Amino acid sequence: MLAQAPLGAGAFEKVGTKVRVTGMKVFGVSLTPDSDRPYVFVKLETNQGIVGWGEATLEGKAGAVIACVSDFKEFIMGCDPMQVEHHWQSMYVHSFYRAGPVMGSAISGIDQALWDIRGKILGMPVYKLLGGPHDPLGVRGYYHARANTPEQLQALRHQAKSLGITAFKSGIPGYYEWIETNAKITRAVRQIQMLRENLGPEIDIGVDFHAKTSPSVASIIVKEVEPLNLLFIEEPCPPENMKAMARVARRSTTPIATGERLVASYSCQQLIEMGAADILQCDINHVGGITALWKVAAMAEPSGISIAPHACEGPIGGLATLHVDAASPNFLVQEICSGVQPEMKEEVWEEWLGFPAMRMVNGRFPLPDKPGLGFDLQESALAKFPFGGTKPMARVFHEDGSVAEW
Amino acid sequence: MATGNDPLDLKELRAFPLREPVSGRRYTLIRLETRGGLRGWGECAGTSDREFAQARQLLSGIPATAYDVAWRKLEPIPGLRAAINMAQLDIVGQHAKAPVYQVLGGPTRNKARALAPIEGAAPSDLLASLQKAQQAGYRAFSTTVPPIEWVNQGQAYIFNVRGRMEILRKNGGPNVDFVLDGAAQLAAGDASSIAAELEKFHLLWFDEPCRVSNLSALRKITDENVTPVGYGRNITNGGEFQDLLREEAADVLRPALYTYGVSQSRKIAALAETYYVAVAPYHDGGPVATAAALQLAASLPNFFIQQIPVPAGDADRQMRQAIAGDVERIRDGFAELPTAPGLGVQVNERALDKYRDRG
Repeated sequence: MLAQAPLGAGAFEKVGTKVRVTGMKVFGVSLTPDSDRPYVFVKLETNQGIVGWGEATLEGKAGAVIACVSDFKEFIMGCDPMQVEHHWQSMYVHSFYRAGPVMGSAISGIDQALWDIRGKILGMPVYKLLGGPHDPLGVRGYYHARANTPEQLQALRHQAKSLGITAFKSGIPGYYEWIETNAKITRAVRQIQMLRENLGPEIDIGVDFHAKTSPSVASIIVKEVEPLNLLFIEEPCPPENMKAMARVARRSTTPIATGERLVASYSCQQLIEMGAADILQCDINHVGGITALWKVAAMAEPSGISIAPHACEGPIGGLATLHVDAASPNFLVQEICSGVQPEMKEEVWEEWLGFPAMRMVNGRFPLPDKPGLGFDLQESALAKFPFGGTKPMARVFHEDGSVAEW
Repeated sequence: MATGNDPLDLKELRAFPLREPVSGRRYTLIRLETRGGLRGWGECAGTSDREFAQARQLLSGIPATAYDVAWRKLEPIPGLRAAINMAQLDIVGQHAKAPVYQVLGGPTRNKARALAPIEGAAPSDLLASLQKAQQAGYRAFSTTVPPIEWVNQGQAYIFNVRGRMEILRKNGGPNVDFVLDGAAQLAAGDASSIAAELEKFHLLWFDEPCRVSNLSALRKITDENVTPVGYGRNITNGGEFQDLLREEAADVLRPALYTYGVSQSRKIAALAETYYVAVAPYHDGGPVATAAALQLAASLPNFFIQQIPVPAGDADRQMRQAIAGDVERIRDGFAELPTAPGLGVQVNERALDKYRDRG
């Protein structure tokens, strides 16, 4: 083995604490046996009796993430949980192969749990450790517009008004080849026009292209909906080629949001430098937890770029992201993959945590005031939802049988 | 040509120049034969005896399977190597008893969208051509811009182009799509004006809006509007495709079947894939190259559409069918994929004599 300084806590005897991580557990949690996105939760235990929870859910690849979290066990056992930045660096750098969504999600789960412990030890919610909150009323959020007709959208508009909700997100219909027909482009444009016409002029509208479109097709649609002043168009094209994303951004005034598939702050550097995005949407469960999401926000701020973090997994990541949102001056709006009406998963979350997690009050997610991430969770509560194994996410195909993005 | 004992070693190369009776379109089929007696077919624009002699020499000792090796060796005769590539793959497929797309990674789709060129100076002729191609089963059509009189055109020309496209859409119906072919005739400034005028028309793409020369001029077109543009039919140096992608000057790459054959077109498509750029191979020749194009289409993840010539008259249709069978049958906008081994065409050698181009 290569020569090195004393391992872990040994090197920090004079400046560290006496707290040590004594246990690490990882849970696969399937709300339904055939769920394609089981939650992956990480629990760290300490010699002080304090525990920390984090979320490492990676949609469609639960088994790989569970294994990857376990691969990090030796990095974490016996360490001082207060050294979150140090451990983050060790997990990332000492893995040699950097980033990637599996490793990014595993680091995210452990990082959140370490922050939870930090907050509990220091007696403060994490957003206070980060210098927030900028908005004491909470974190502005949006729901998904679960409405497809003008009538449903108008009903949603009235509901939003009475509930104080200020923004919704919707998508575009169907799947798109890299060059598209008049019929499909026209249908997408009309769908977006219908959103604005029926949600009214005051509600902010985000439209998620979900990387279904190529830069060529996205450019046409994004330019054509310019007069609707959307809050953003999300993922106009797939994430690998940043120049291609920049091309879409350059050809329209419509703000471009992207980033949920990106891992670690390095991955956003090019997007920022190229002016390819107006809004970054990194996901706290993939990007590298609280540590990495905070850095993404920090590096975006001087360029006038906002953050609107993606959140479509479980309640732990959802609550963790609120802390970074609350502490970021360039925070725009927080996603939750839910509708105005609570669903089965929200009931389960409330049962687990004892409060309606990730439900807005007057258009904002309330900030937790307990130390750490702000909740208590018992392992026994998860036992009702055993891990159903990894299930593939949606697999969709074009008219000729070829692979499509969904 | 063969010096070893491998039954797949190439033994003989023959050419069959052909001419369509109505359109006058010329193309040459080539036939490669192996030591073991397998025959593979390819297609090119034409060739000379000298090039043929050189090709025979360069292919000496090479087995049919070494199609990528042959591509490099045949660099001095660019007019022939695409045809030889098709013929080699035809043999490889027959040897493997599978369609070429099974050799090249398996089918990525079960049919290939087809593009029909339509023609006509007067709108009535254009509409007649559209109707004929629609009856033949096509849903996507390519039409050329009117001839230009000056280097730069004015508003009347731009409105004329838009007017022609609107007539086509009105008559074609809502589910009909168009490529506008600039035929590399326009100045970049005019091309951009037309592309901007047609932004909300939703062309599939504007093909060869101007000549591929200065990339800054091409980039100006894609920077100034969002109408997709395609280039490539005249590109003979494959590296220029990378330049187009790097400059973000193209939305569709159009490697010509006669220039790149099947396997080199696949490499250009691989390049395009990382830019989310679609490939629509260019083909304006005979039915053997159509078969090769369909094999290519089946193998590509980023294929969008294959241009397939519409016979100019019944005699031309009969000729294409007599040579290569039913490979060019289009249904509801798509060509069926060949399922027989190799390229999937049974070339009728007696018919070749009947349609021989006698100069």
